[in-house]
Amino acid sequence: MNYYKYYKSIILICLCFLAVANANAQSDWEIPEKEQENVSFIMFDDDMILEGSIAYENSCTSCHGTPGQDDYMPMAPSPGDLASDQFQEQKDGTIFYKIKKGRGSMPKFEDVFADDETWNIVAYIRSFNKNYKQPIPDLGGIIIPEYKLKLDFDENVDKLVVKVFSKEIPQAEVDVSAFVKGMFGKFLLGKTQTNELGIAYLDIDPQLPGDAEGKLHIMVKASKGYGLAKLNQKMKMVQPTIHKSAIEGRHIWSTDEMAPIWLKTSFFITIFGVWTILFFIVIGFYNIKKAGREDLH
Amino acid sequence: MSKANKNDKSRRKFLQNLGLAGVSAVGGSALLLQGCSDPKDSASGKKVKVLTQDNQLVEVDVANLKPSDNIKDLDYLQDRGREGIPGKKFVMVVDLAKCKNARKCMTACQSAHQLKPEMHHINVLEMNDPVRKTSYYMPKTCQHCDNPPCVSVCPVDATFKRQDGIVLIDNERCIGCRFCVAACPYSARTFNWTEPKDAEKFAEVTYNMELNVPQKKGTVTKCAFSADRLREGKLPYCVSACPNGVYYFGDSNEDLVTNGTTKMTVRLSKLLQENAAYTLMPELGTKPSVYYLPPRQNKG
Repeated sequence: MNYYKYYKSIILICLCFLAVANANAQSDWEIPEKEQENVSFIMFDDDMILEGSIAYENSCTSCHGTPGQDDYMPMAPSPGDLASDQFQEQKDGTIFYKIKKGRGSMPKFEDVFADDETWNIVAYIRSFNKNYKQPIPDLGGIIIPEYKLKLDFDENVDKLVVKVFSKEIPQAEVDVSAFVKGMFGKFLLGKTQTNELGIAYLDIDPQLPGDAEGKLHIMVKASKGYGLAKLNQKMKMVQPTIHKSAIEGRHIWSTDEMAPIWLKTSFFITIFGVWTILFFIVIGFYNIKKAGREDLH
Repeated sequence: MSKANKNDKSRRKFLQNLGLAGVSAVGGSALLLQGCSDPKDSASGKKVKVLTQDNQLVEVDVANLKPSDNIKDLDYLQDRGREGIPGKKFVMVVDLAKCKNARKCMTACQSAHQLKPEMHHINVLEMNDPVRKTSYYMPKTCQHCDNPPCVSVCPVDATFKRQDGIVLIDNERCIGCRFCVAACPYSARTFNWTEPKDAEKFAEVTYNMELNVPQKKGTVTKCAFSADRLREGKLPYCVSACPNGVYYFGDSNEDLVTNGTTKMTVRLSKLLQENAAYTLMPELGTKPSVYYLPPRQNKG
């Protein structure tokens, strides 16, 4: 009898525990007020969205799926579709905080992404919301440094030289990343920081194929704190490459346009020759028949 | 008398005609001038970014843009499709270790190319190795060979290779002899035995050989490397639809390929070398443009 009583109370306790756990999971994610008002100091652009999509694909898709496709993992609490109104209602600061800190099965990405990289992801998520207007950041006395970039190529050591200035003064410890623009994406050459002279060096593989003049389309990004500068430039860096057409030359599958004149002429002469001989024979037969008929008369 | 009358008549007629001609000339030139007038004064000052044919981004005033009729012009589409994109040589790399048979590439392809579910430009095959008792999934598409046997056998020049390496079909020329189907060692081609899917819906659409839509009953169809998307600088339908990062696509002249899922761009030569890439049936000398990275040896 006693056992039965215990049994009942244990089940009751278990049920209570489950209910509390469930309520915990369902409860709203409390974000500190200050964090909610956090906004990006850089206006979102296509480049940020592209960078964000790369980071998202690598770190978020496995649970959240592709935004707008409702293909997220069935979990509790549900990750939800990131393009949904319910998700997009949240403030930028809230999304930023959630990515950064994580909760439960959502890992924290604080140690994975730098702040600007996290904002790239927010930019990517926001690109699915047509009604989204990015809040203008209140700088409140913060002066955003304006960086200027100067690119050069040192062909003796195959290095791209990036010099970062702000008001003519070289800037040290600025994060510099350089890419080569390809047809469908950008190829990372490297990430580094400027030295005390404001100069950063990046290795260039001389084997990289350039265009007909040996130029590469280089994209350089420099950032430090809130300051950000980007520069796109075509630079002579590698050996010129002559792009051959895939149909150049004569092949068994070439069209007749590629055939040389001697082949074309001899072909047509042969055809005409054979036909002429055939006509000559036919006319000959006709003449013989005609001559035979005249003999009869 | 009658002669004089006649003369009189003709003179009057002549003057009348002259008057008419004069008026129409003045009117016509006025219209012409209006047509030639400089559109500068109507410039709105609003600029938009557009991509030129050689992939350069330029800014143009909105007022200078007008809707193009070219896209509906069959001759224009045919010429453009035959010529291809200069300076490019497209390649695809398929990472078999990543394919989990999601088949998103197939559905994306079939909806883009107006294909019935049983027709494939790309097909994910289950490969079994009875000796090692392993299995893996292999997406198989047209290999866009640099030495294409299908093009050699076509009697009407309907299938051809372009300067950017893509092998296409012109179904305006195709007579449905299916020599190419027989010649292809990769079984990449399929035949429209019946009326294609949604035939009525596409009845009015101008034929675009880069997309091979509208499909036509009695012609051959196959993968076109999404030549229409490449023209816009976008990755092919299958490549961008893959959720598992199987496909890399790019221009081998740049030696760069971009993963359709992660959008990560890597060096083509390094990717092929470091992963022991191979092509299908290299002994045939077809020189495919599609490379495969070997699968993991899972117990199947």
